[in-house]
Amino acid sequence: MEIFRNLARRKLRSVLTISGIVIGIFALTTMGAMAEHFNALIDGGVKYFGSSIQVGAPDGQQGSLLPLSKVDEVKKVDGVAAAFPGYSFSAKPGDVATVSFNVPDQIVAGDPGEDRYSVLQITAARGSKLPETRGDVVLGSSMANEFKKNVGDSISLPVRPRDAKPDFVNHPFKVVGILNPTRTAPDNFAYITIPDGQMLLKDSLPAAIRDRIDVSTITMSITAYGKPGTPLSELDRIADRINRQVPGIKALRPSDLVNSFKSGGAIFTAITTGAAVLALVVGGLSVVNTMIMAVTERFREIGLKKAVGAHTYHVLREYLAEAVLIGFLGGAIGYLAGLGLTTLLNTLGKSSNFELFLVTPALTALALGFAVALGALAGVIPALRAARLDPVTALRTTN
Amino acid sequence: MANIELVELTKHYKQGKTVVRALDGVTLSITAGEFVSVVGRSGSGKTTLLDLVGLLLRPTSGRVVIDGVDTSTLKDGQRADTRGQRLGFIFQEYNLLPALNVMENVLLPLRYVKSRVGDGKARARELLEVVGLTERIRHRPDELSGGEQQRVAIARSLINRPALVLGDEPTGAVDSQTSMELLALMRKMNQEENVTFMIVSHDLELASRADRMIRLKDGRVISDEPLTQPREAEPAVAG
Repeated sequence: MEIFRNLARRKLRSVLTISGIVIGIFALTTMGAMAEHFNALIDGGVKYFGSSIQVGAPDGQQGSLLPLSKVDEVKKVDGVAAAFPGYSFSAKPGDVATVSFNVPDQIVAGDPGEDRYSVLQITAARGSKLPETRGDVVLGSSMANEFKKNVGDSISLPVRPRDAKPDFVNHPFKVVGILNPTRTAPDNFAYITIPDGQMLLKDSLPAAIRDRIDVSTITMSITAYGKPGTPLSELDRIADRINRQVPGIKALRPSDLVNSFKSGGAIFTAITTGAAVLALVVGGLSVVNTMIMAVTERFREIGLKKAVGAHTYHVLREYLAEAVLIGFLGGAIGYLAGLGLTTLLNTLGKSSNFELFLVTPALTALALGFAVALGALAGVIPALRAARLDPVTALRTTN
Repeated sequence: MANIELVELTKHYKQGKTVVRALDGVTLSITAGEFVSVVGRSGSGKTTLLDLVGLLLRPTSGRVVIDGVDTSTLKDGQRADTRGQRLGFIFQEYNLLPALNVMENVLLPLRYVKSRVGDGKARARELLEVVGLTERIRHRPDELSGGEQQRVAIARSLINRPALVLGDEPTGAVDSQTSMELLALMRKMNQEENVTFMIVSHDLELASRADRMIRLKDGRVISDEPLTQPREAEPAVAG
């Protein structure tokens, strides 16, 4: 209680000091939430691409179309436990590409059996987890929010652009399931069956060749899996074997993809660190300043406390507690302000697939813990100064 | 039996190349329950004497013995404990903590020492009744007059049932009427609690109302006289 009263006695200074920490922790929370969102995406990518081998068209080939027979050839390679064809399309063709921290909306067609091998597990929030019959679609959580769809609704895919040409083709699908959020790519996916995927593939081919190609014999990509738990290095070796043994395709080494994802995350780690340093400098200096002034102004109080029996550690503890309280108050306000802003922006961005922030329990603990540690760290020097004061000198000080 | 003994107590300071002999070989015995005043001109060493007896300063040489304990051998923590358990302080500027109310200020010493007084709050209420501030226990220092603040300081000095209360110009910041009231209050506490009081003052009128007056000059005791018929202090005004 005495600490609160001491802070209240110097209202303006206390407010300014706490504001310094508020700004720092606010920056840490918002930037951290952005990094957490991005890292969740990256983690999903690392999980998925670190447990499978992506096979596409060889370098230099325009487009990515492979004979479906290649799936069986890949399956025969030593170490490959399973291989599946895959089709993916932009769900919003013609959408102007902008800088975004999200995966673009995609229509994905794959074999339901692949789910048994994928490390990145999806679960249904409502309805089915995967489509079973033609004309069905299962939407990721972000897509469902973006298009305000629920189980039983209908959605036309791909989404017709506003300036679509008269020959633009899309198809109505019935929503049979909505997935739980994964915080990564599947949130922005619309899952359809392979025959529907082949139908969309045909729609996407140039008119001149569309009727001459049998899309039922073509896949856009192949995903191969080793046995569950196969280490990354072994998956790399399997990818190398696929490249050697199966002509006309290119298997990417999983470690290359994983490293690519991780290097992207380093940028955001730098941003978070920058915010943390900002918090440290701004907030820390303001606490140091306030506590030094508080100690200087309260020399006589310190002298009195020592005269009536306070030990050095009593005084140290009291001033440290005051600094920690300043840190905690600033941290709590800054965190709540950051949480409020990120929640508001996420809510506003939901309808346009522009969710940028993810406030995790770890980030909450970091922000509050950092604020308290900052207060304690910044309070140590002034508190030591106070605690070591000679009582006679302190008592005779004229404020 | 003397409860305070000062043996060849010396305190020298260095000011540049000059050595200032603030206190120079003072030997005194103060008996339990005495009310002693220490007088002298500015620079005579009276405040230094008080700081040494109050264990706020370490002597250059000599000893301060309180209730048979030679304090010169005590470490800083033990000196703090002794201050908290055996000594009480009253300062000219009251030195109340502005963030605490009257009751909390009186209880302050008990925050730092193992309480020997049992129920601290009951003891504080008892003292505040004696000093006439029962109705103001929730008030902050800035809501009190100078005299009232010093009454709080007197109550605070006695909360731990000390052997000795040291007063450094305890009436120096109040008018003469309040000064007499405070003195009467201290005498009352001295008699009722059987606590030794040692008061430093430049006010001879006030000092002459003690049991004994010690005069200092240039760091030495130049006279130490019992006041056989100390003048009656005016009664304390309570409430």
